[in-house]
Amino acid sequence: MTENVDRETYSAARVRALESLLIEKGIITGETVDKVIDFFEKDMGPFNGARIVAKAWVDPEFKERLLADTPSAIAELSFPRGMAGAEGENMAAVANTPEVHNLIVCTMCSCYPWPVLGLPPYWFKDPTFRARAIREPRKVLKEFGLDIDESKEVKVWDTSAQIRWFVLPERPDGTEGWTEEQLAAIVTPESMQGAAKVAVPA
Amino acid sequence: MQIKFEQFAATSMLGSPDSPPRDNGEILFQRHWEGRAFGMAIALSKKGHYEWEDFRQGLIASIAEWEATHCKDDPDWDYYLRWLSSLESLVLESSLVSEEELEERTRLMLAEADTALPQS
Repeated sequence: MTENVDRETYSAARVRALESLLIEKGIITGETVDKVIDFFEKDMGPFNGARIVAKAWVDPEFKERLLADTPSAIAELSFPRGMAGAEGENMAAVANTPEVHNLIVCTMCSCYPWPVLGLPPYWFKDPTFRARAIREPRKVLKEFGLDIDESKEVKVWDTSAQIRWFVLPERPDGTEGWTEEQLAAIVTPESMQGAAKVAVPA
Repeated sequence: MQIKFEQFAATSMLGSPDSPPRDNGEILFQRHWEGRAFGMAIALSKKGHYEWEDFRQGLIASIAEWEATHCKDDPDWDYYLRWLSSLESLVLESSLVSEEELEERTRLMLAEADTALPQS
């Protein structure tokens, strides 16, 4: 019978069968499953980091506090619980300036601050990428389409359990008068890793 | 140190072969059932029905098994099919559901899907 059913229909039915049995037996509830999904789709992700960056762009005093003591500055924003906890307490922001460009790499991706930056892209965990980023960051950035002027210093930060770095990118020109929400919408995870600049959509 | 179980579960997978598909930093579910299977696996472990590490090891083994019999760039690769197969095995192994029940219910759901979908 199953041979005649396409894989998609079968998988969907199989998952529904599993969930309905588990609910019927009182093992889990549909709400428990919803909550887990919501946690990943709504509570934790790069949208949190984008909010922090946007706030720092419009509020110079917040920016100062963010760079001086990242965890307490993050704690000022009302994030879902857990954010200011285990993952957040070792966080440190580094600001891109006209003089310095920062790039984050990771030795152990389990230390990646994903509740703020989102889940790391595939290339990020590649040992070759990490080794090259440390040895020749300008070249690696160029491959990402980022041409960093020779006069600008490039700093590479290795994120670890001790310190989870993230980059405060430069606010792009042409965003004067934008609201925090508008600004947050253009901040990408890559820009908070230092692998891209924030661009204003055409 | 307080850490949410969901956070622990996802963090343990990062940088490993069982790390889930994502898009622009966000977890990616392409089909409705992927999210349900993902949520169920974590919820069951969160409620103490099995150890998260046991689920992970099952998933890693299931991925390795697929890779052993397919080329690396086989377009048929499907992360969440591996996820579903590991979830099924662990649910049966933990005696939460019996194989007969699951087969029977799957047939029911398939029959329902058949009547629910408009036939052209």
